Amino acid sequence: MTMDAHVDLSVALGELELANPVMTASGTFASGREFAAFVDLNRLGAVVTKGVSAQPWDGNESPRIAETPSGMLNSIGLQNPGAEAFCAKDLVWLKEHAPRVPVIVNVSGHTVDEYAAVVERLDEECAVSAYEINISCPNVDEGGLAFGTSCPAAAAVVAACREVTTRPLIVKLSPNVSDIAEIARAVEAAGADAVSLINTLLGMAIDVDTRRPMLARGVGGLSGPAIRPVAVRMVWQVARAVTIPVVGMGGIMTGRDAIEFMLAGATAVAVGTANFIDPTATMRVLDGVEEYCRKHGVKRVRDLIGAVSL
Amino acid sequence: MTVSPQPVLETVRVLANERIATGVGLLTLQAPRIARSVEPGQFVHLRIGVGRTEILRRPFSVHRAVGDRIEILYQVVGAGTARLARVGPADEDLDAIGPVGHGWDVPAGTSHALLVTGGLGAAPMGMLAERLAAQGVACVVAMGAPTAERLVARELFESVARKVVLTTDDGTAGTRGLVTVATERLLAEERFDMVYACGPEGMQRAVASQAAVAGVRCQVSLERLMACGIGACLSCVVTTTNGRKRACVDGPVFYAEEVVWYASEVPPKH
Ligand SMILES: Cc1cc2nc3c(=O)[nH]c(=O)nc-3n(C[C@H](O)[C@H](O)[C@H](O)COP(=O)(O)OP(=O)(O)OC[C@H]3O[C@@H](n4cnc5c(N)ncnc54)[C@H](O)[C@@H]3O)c2cc1C
Ligand SMILES: Cc1cc2nc3c(=O)[nH]c(=O)nc-3n(C[C@H](O)[C@H](O)[C@H](O)COP(=O)(O)O)c2cc1C
Ligand code: FES
Repeated sequence: MTMDAHVDLSVALGELELANPVMTASGTFASGREFAAFVDLNRLGAVVTKGVSAQPWDGNESPRIAETPSGMLNSIGLQNPGAEAFCAKDLVWLKEHAPRVPVIVNVSGHTVDEYAAVVERLDEECAVSAYEINISCPNVDEGGLAFGTSCPAAAAVVAACREVTTRPLIVKLSPNVSDIAEIARAVEAAGADAVSLINTLLGMAIDVDTRRPMLARGVGGLSGPAIRPVAVRMVWQVARAVTIPVVGMGGIMTGRDAIEFMLAGATAVAVGTANFIDPTATMRVLDGVEEYCRKHGVKRVRDLIGAVSL
Repeated sequence: MTVSPQPVLETVRVLANERIATGVGLLTLQAPRIARSVEPGQFVHLRIGVGRTEILRRPFSVHRAVGDRIEILYQVVGAGTARLARVGPADEDLDAIGPVGHGWDVPAGTSHALLVTGGLGAAPMGMLAERLAAQGVACVVAMGAPTAERLVARELFESVARKVVLTTDDGTAGTRGLVTVATERLLAEERFDMVYACGPEGMQRAVASQAAVAGVRCQVSLERLMACGIGACLSCVVTTTNGRKRACVDGPVFYAEEVVWYASEVPPKH
C-alpha cells in the first residue's frame, strides 16, 4: 500500500452512478448557490436540493430553529417557491455552474397527486438525475410524515411517482416509526430504486424562563451529531431488510462518520447540519473518506458497504 | 444599494478581548479578508471553538474595521457569548464566515442622518457613523442604555457626530427614560433625510413609526436565529410586504416600511 494509491470512490444508486458517495442532505444546502463560494460543487457525489412542491409553500412561523445539545431542532416547514420557480432559477443555475454533478430533486407534497405532479413537471427537465421523495417531514401538518409512517400510504406515494418517471426514485424515510425496516420493504415493493435515511427525529425544547416552546410551531425535527447513533442503527436495520441501496445520513461531520454509515450498510451518505457549522463540510467529509481508504488500504470505497464485522 | 461581496470563511486570530462594561466585551480579531471587504451593517458568523455541544455559529455585527482587523462588540447572554468572553490570543479554533448580509443603505444625496441605538444596537452603527462622517453627512446619534456605563461606543459617536443625545433608564447619563422620547423630540425639531435604528425590536418598531410620522425614511437591523448565515436554510425569515425574506442575506438591514412587525420577531427572553 502506498500513500498515493488511487482510491476508487465511485458508487451506484441503482442506475445512478456517482463519482463518490458524498451528497448533500436536502434542505441544508439549498440548491448549492450559497455554498459555491466555499465548495467546489463539481466534486460532490450529488447535490440533493431542498424540498420542492407543486405550488409555492410559505413554511412555518418563527422562531424556526433552536440549538440543542450537539444538535438543533428545525421547523422550517418546507418553505419553497414551487416547481416552476425552482426549474426557472435553481435548475438553470445548477446546469450552468455545476454541470458535472448529478442533481437529485427532493420532492414534497400534501397529497399523492401533488407528489406525482412535481415529479411529472421535473421530468421535462434534462438537468435532473433522480428524485428523492420526502415522505418524512415532521414539519408540515398534512402529507409529509403522515405518508412516511404508514406502509400503504408510503407505497401509494411511491407507486404514483413510479408511474410518471423512469428516473431513479430514492425514498426518504422517517425515523419516527417503530419499525423502519417494514416501511423500507413497502417502498421497495412499490418501485423505489433506493431509500435514504434518516430524516429528522421529532423533538421539542422549552424555554423554562418563559415556559414557552423554543419553536413557534412547538415541535420540530432534531438533526446533527446528537442523532448519529440512532441513524447508524436504522441504516444498519434497513440495509439488512432490503436489496436496494441505502443513502445514510444523520449527524455526519467528518469522513470517519461517513465511513461509519457505509460500514452499517449505506452505499452513499449525505451531509446536512454540518454544512451550517462548516460550509466546507462536504469537502472535508469527502477528503476524509479518501484518506481513510488510503490509510486502511481500501482500493474501492464500495467494498466498505455493509462491512461491519459483527 | 451596496452590492455585497461574496463571503469568505476565514480563520481569525484574537488580538484583544476586553471587558468594557458589565457583561459587555470588545473583541478585536485579525481577519484580513473580511476586514478589507466589509461594509457598514454587515456581520460575521462566528464559530467559537470546535468540539462543544453548542454546535452552531453565532452572528455578530462588525462594529469597526481597521486595516486587517475587525472589532466586535458583544453582550454575554448565553453559553456562546459566555465562551466568547473567555477567548484570547491562545485560542486557535475560531473562524468566521463574512462579511455577510445586506448592510446600511446610504442613498446619494443623504445629508442629515439620525442614528438611534438601544444598548448593543450600537454595535452595527460604528462603521456607519464613521462612513457617514467621512462622506460629510451630518449625524445626530441618539443612544439609549440601562445605565451610563452601558452606553457602549459613546466615544466613537462623540468623535464623529454633530451631536450625541444620551438617555438611560436610571438617569446616570443624559435624560432618564427611553431613547424613543429623545428621538420623538429630535424628529420634531430637526430635519433629517434618513433614520438608522438598531436595538431591541420593540424600540426599532417605535422609532420606525416616529420616522414614518415625520416623513423620514428609516432603516432597521433585525436579529433572527440563524443556522447557516449564508442564505441556504431559511431559519432566519423576516416577514415583509414583499413576502418572507432572509435576515442573513436579504438583511439584516431592511427599510422599515417593508417590515411586517411582530410577525416573525424573536420572542424576548423573560
Ligand atoms: C445579524 C445579527 C447581528 C448581531 N450582532 C450582535 C452584536 O454585534 N453584538 C451582540 O452582542 N449580539 C449580536 N447579535 C446577537 C447574538 O448573535 C446573540 O446574542 C448570540 O447568538 C447569543 O448566543 P449565546 O450562545 O450567548 O446565547 P443563547 O441564548 O444560549 O443561544 C442559543 C441560540 O440562540 C441564538 N440566539 C440567541 N439570541 C439571539 C439573538 N438575539 N439573535 C440571533 N440569535 C440569537 C444563538 O445564536 C444560538 O443559536 C446579532 C444577531 C444577529 C442576527
Ligand atoms: C434546516 C433543515 C431543513 C431540512 N429540510 C429538508 C427538506 O426540505 N427535505 C428533506 O427531505 N429533509 C430535510 N431536512 C432533513 C435533512 O435532509 C436530514 O435528513 C437530517 O437533517 C439529518 O441529517 P443531519 O443530521 O446531517 O442534518 C432538513 C434538515 C434541516 C436541519
Ligand atoms: S440563516 Fe440560513 S438562511 Fe439565513
